[in-house]
Amino acid sequence: MLGRLIGLVWRHRWRCLFILAIQLVLLALGLTGLALAGMGVDVIRYEIESHTAPPRWPFGIRLPPDWHGMPLLAVLSGSIAVLALLRAGLNYLYGMSVARLVQGEIVVRLRGELYDKLQRLDFRFFDSNASSSLINRLTGDVQSVRLFVDGVMIPAVIMVLSLGVYLIYMLSIHVPLTITCLIPMPLIWILAARFSKEVYPRYRKARRLFDGIVLWLSECLQGVGVVKAFGFEKRAMEIFEEKNRAFREQQYTTFGMVSFFTPSINAVTQSTLIILLGYGGWLVMHDAIPLGAGLVVFSGLLQQFGAQVANVGGIMNSAQQSLAAAGRVFEILDAPLTVRNAPTPLRPAAVRGEIRFENVTFAHRGENQPSLREVSFSAEPGQCIGIIGATGSGKSSLLSLVPRFYDPQSGRVCVDGCDVRELDLETLRASVGMVFQESFLFAASVADNIAFGQPDASPEQIERAARMAAADGFIRELPEGYQTVLREGGQSLSGGQRQRLALARALLRDPKILILDDPTAAVDAHTEQEILEGVEQALHGRTVLLATHRIAALRRAHWILVLEGGRIIQQGPPAELARRPGYYQNLTLLQHDHETEAA
Amino acid sequence: MKQRPPEPEHQPLKLALLRRVFQHTPEARPARNLLIVLTILRSVQLPLLAWALGAIINGPITSRSTTGLLWGIAGYTALLVVTDYVFHYRIKLALHYGENVVSRLRSELFAHLARMPMQFHHEHRVGGLISRLTSDIESIRSGVQEALFVSIVQGGQMIVAGLLMLWYEPMLFAIVAAVGPMLFLLTRKFRKSQSRMQRAIQESFSRITASVTEAVGGIRVTQGFSREEQNAGIFRELVADHSQYNIGAARSTATFTPLLELNAQFFTAALLLVGGWRALHPDIGMPIGDLIMFLFLATLFFQPFQALGNQYGTAISAMAGAERVFTLLDTPPAWEDAPDARALGPISGRVEVENLSFSYAPDKPVLQNISFVAEPGMSIALAGHTGSGKTTLVNLIAKFYLPLSGSVKIDGHATTAIQTESLHRQLGVVTQQNFLFTGSILENLRVARQNATHEEALAAADRLGCRDEIEAIGLDTVVTEQGGGISLGQRQLVCILRAMLADPRILILDEATSAVDSLTEAKIQQAMTELMRGRTSFIIAHRLSTVRKASLVLVLDHGRIVERGTHRELLRAGGVYAGMYRQFVRPAL
Repeated sequence: MLGRLIGLVWRHRWRCLFILAIQLVLLALGLTGLALAGMGVDVIRYEIESHTAPPRWPFGIRLPPDWHGMPLLAVLSGSIAVLALLRAGLNYLYGMSVARLVQGEIVVRLRGELYDKLQRLDFRFFDSNASSSLINRLTGDVQSVRLFVDGVMIPAVIMVLSLGVYLIYMLSIHVPLTITCLIPMPLIWILAARFSKEVYPRYRKARRLFDGIVLWLSECLQGVGVVKAFGFEKRAMEIFEEKNRAFREQQYTTFGMVSFFTPSINAVTQSTLIILLGYGGWLVMHDAIPLGAGLVVFSGLLQQFGAQVANVGGIMNSAQQSLAAAGRVFEILDAPLTVRNAPTPLRPAAVRGEIRFENVTFAHRGENQPSLREVSFSAEPGQCIGIIGATGSGKSSLLSLVPRFYDPQSGRVCVDGCDVRELDLETLRASVGMVFQESFLFAASVADNIAFGQPDASPEQIERAARMAAADGFIRELPEGYQTVLREGGQSLSGGQRQRLALARALLRDPKILILDDPTAAVDAHTEQEILEGVEQALHGRTVLLATHRIAALRRAHWILVLEGGRIIQQGPPAELARRPGYYQNLTLLQHDHETEAA
Repeated sequence: MKQRPPEPEHQPLKLALLRRVFQHTPEARPARNLLIVLTILRSVQLPLLAWALGAIINGPITSRSTTGLLWGIAGYTALLVVTDYVFHYRIKLALHYGENVVSRLRSELFAHLARMPMQFHHEHRVGGLISRLTSDIESIRSGVQEALFVSIVQGGQMIVAGLLMLWYEPMLFAIVAAVGPMLFLLTRKFRKSQSRMQRAIQESFSRITASVTEAVGGIRVTQGFSREEQNAGIFRELVADHSQYNIGAARSTATFTPLLELNAQFFTAALLLVGGWRALHPDIGMPIGDLIMFLFLATLFFQPFQALGNQYGTAISAMAGAERVFTLLDTPPAWEDAPDARALGPISGRVEVENLSFSYAPDKPVLQNISFVAEPGMSIALAGHTGSGKTTLVNLIAKFYLPLSGSVKIDGHATTAIQTESLHRQLGVVTQQNFLFTGSILENLRVARQNATHEEALAAADRLGCRDEIEAIGLDTVVTEQGGGISLGQRQLVCILRAMLADPRILILDEATSAVDSLTEAKIQQAMTELMRGRTSFIIAHRLSTVRKASLVLVLDHGRIVERGTHRELLRAGGVYAGMYRQFVRPAL
């Protein structure tokens, strides 16, 4: 993972180098400013107390002897000001370069790639990952990945560079003083590293406990009916208290760490100042180093040096964070795409709608048990095939092979006699309309939702599709008709209305094949009727595969497939199956018993 | 372009609100007061340290006094030790204090929400209430842990440093004083532009999140309709838009931060010039140590500007959070048990509804003049279309709502005159939602009976005739957030078992619309029948088989009982019910 993150930096190496170059110049300018201020002090001191050593200019610069006093100070002061202006400009450039690189490029690109990939992954991936985790990868995790560039790599290089420069500068002032003052520095490094090692796991644990608190509140609110009906309020409060206390106590241990390490690191940094005062002061007293360019500058350098060393903890933590996030991000980018277009796909001008399964065996990735075993059947254009079987018998898997959401491990799925793997994916899917168990509607207008598969559809086309799905009536009664914006995935509509809207969406492109995956599963009998009214109108001239467990929905079927454990255990026309003992007959009798009653 | 909400900068600090936050947790008051003392101490210590450093250079070092230097260092070290000790306690106390305040707020919030009647929960979105607990209370935390105490330290440091400079060289301090207002204005402008940018960033980010959420939720539709390209195009635009705001925020940081630094640098330049002139001028003869002292003190003086600005922002958002949290805490429940409400003893389960009317909003009656009696052990099926008032009726029987007029009497006691908890302890529900908490099956069963054991749970399952199924699920199986782990049918069975464990006298069953295979369905039916045996039950029916077995069917339409009787009686009557029945039996297809 580290290698791939470094690869990310390598991809942008020139811009990273440019950013580092700016930093290097900034470093030099900053030190020069500090040196100039120190020189200023020495110049003044020399003027007043001429017995002290004359100011020593760095880099062997020799000033004309008549340069002294106020004019010299003016030059120094002016230089500081000019340097400061330069620094300000470069700082702006630095800030903008980093932002343009990470926010303007890396994040944008990564998000685009992720989204693209995510949309093409098969449904299993979505079923096996909580949606919040997937959303997080595109939002928070991407930011953590880019942190590797501007929070780990660049600062780490800058840290090494500036430590080197500071060190050289300090050594150039006085070698023994430098060594003595730096003795406590490793302690800072150790403390900072310990700190991040001790504290961040505690933060993470606290985070988990806090998530537990939020989850509990959220569930008690969502299930408020259950909480109240069972008189569970007091117990729920006690549980909340327990969680709250656990979190608080976890926080206390973190606080203990924070309040120990922060002052300790401070104290070590300050102890170097004590050494400086003692040893450096003694050196100044013996004119071994100057007061300004020596002692004052040295104290500035020491503070910056300490700050950079203490940075280690932050960088280490960012590195951990971005590594963890990178794992999650690359998991998506690396997930194999199972369904791809053939190199030279077939694009038939018109699809008739004949469907044939030939010995199809299919197992979801990572599962040993096949969902379908040697399934064979065929549907003539215009036929309605009913598919029944218990939950988990393979109904949905069978349906999902027709629009080629997955490819079977063996056997063939053919449309119009042509293996779907040879057909152009978009052509195939454009000729297949789909309605799922619970239809997902988007937060957009009714018209936009119907036109989802064909955004440039005309209002007439949209209304025609709605009429076909028996949805036109209720849509016109909505506050703004077809332009009514659906909030929260259409939660304001009834279950039956949502399904009819989904049917209209499926019918818009006038598909020759219609796939209905248990469209009445989640609704009551009355609503089922509403939906079936829509479906009945839509059947004409289409090949329909209808999975259901409701006998009522199967009255129009020409042919019934009974699935069990991924196999077709019975098939035939409904009237014939009803006479043969088996699942279908049982179901008919059971539901007949439930729903018909000789009065 | 939408109207932007008012700038938070224009909000004054609301002192009453802040006072309430800081006085909220009485047991933490001693800690708070000690903390204030420590922060004041620390605000003096920091400039004192800088002064001591200057004084040592200025004194013993320039005058070449070795003993002076040693004493100086000893004093400086002592001061450092004390300062760091104070620092340690200041951090620790502030963090603890903040945690105690928000921890208490969290508890109060939860208790308050638990106390709120059902109507409140129907009117408020879960997400909104959760953000009280998360973002609002967390912003109060940083307000309490940081804003006041850091401001005291920073402000105090600035004042003490200023005073020291004034005492040494009023003339030089004048330069500082001149730079000060500029810094102040800069900081202000920066904060404003930042908060504008942050808002734009948040808005564009929430568009991204919404888009991703839809992409994940609607993946089947997207792939089924080959919308990948279009969606990706829209998403790229959103991302690019968001990145522009991010870069904008970076620009404002990249502009203002160097400008603030520039100020300090210019001050150094000016100090050198003016200080040098004053030191060199024979009439003034300012000691050079003062100059060095100024260089140290000036840093202390300039530092707090930015920090104070940040703290102001923290305080503002803490205040906004506190306002929302307290508004919620101050909202009284629409109703509570009357003070003289009686605890209900063990009941037989007779429910008498008299002239009951109810509406959620005025002018929109949901129930009108409902009257009926359910004798103990009867099963009452409620039939009618969506919106006919079935759910509202059972909610009133369960005392989730209070009647607007008329009454619901349990064993002869009006629900308004009894303690809610004593009723709910004898009530069981199975909702259509089949809600389970994240946790093991057994933990979920303990919602109905605290401390229920494995044996008790299995014995109850035995009585329902679904022991094998429950054992197959496993009492220790953990159900996860999206109901993962177990199938829908299993979920329904667990909910029925949960109601069974409550051993209620009154049952409310909102029948799930079948989404399970027929065998599980038959099992659920059987368990339901067992559960209802000997209990007064109200069933919102979706299956005719249930209705058929009911002792009484009430047919509701637009909030009124339009027909009542047994299944057979109603069929013979040939009214609304018979019509609905025909729809079931002879579907259009």
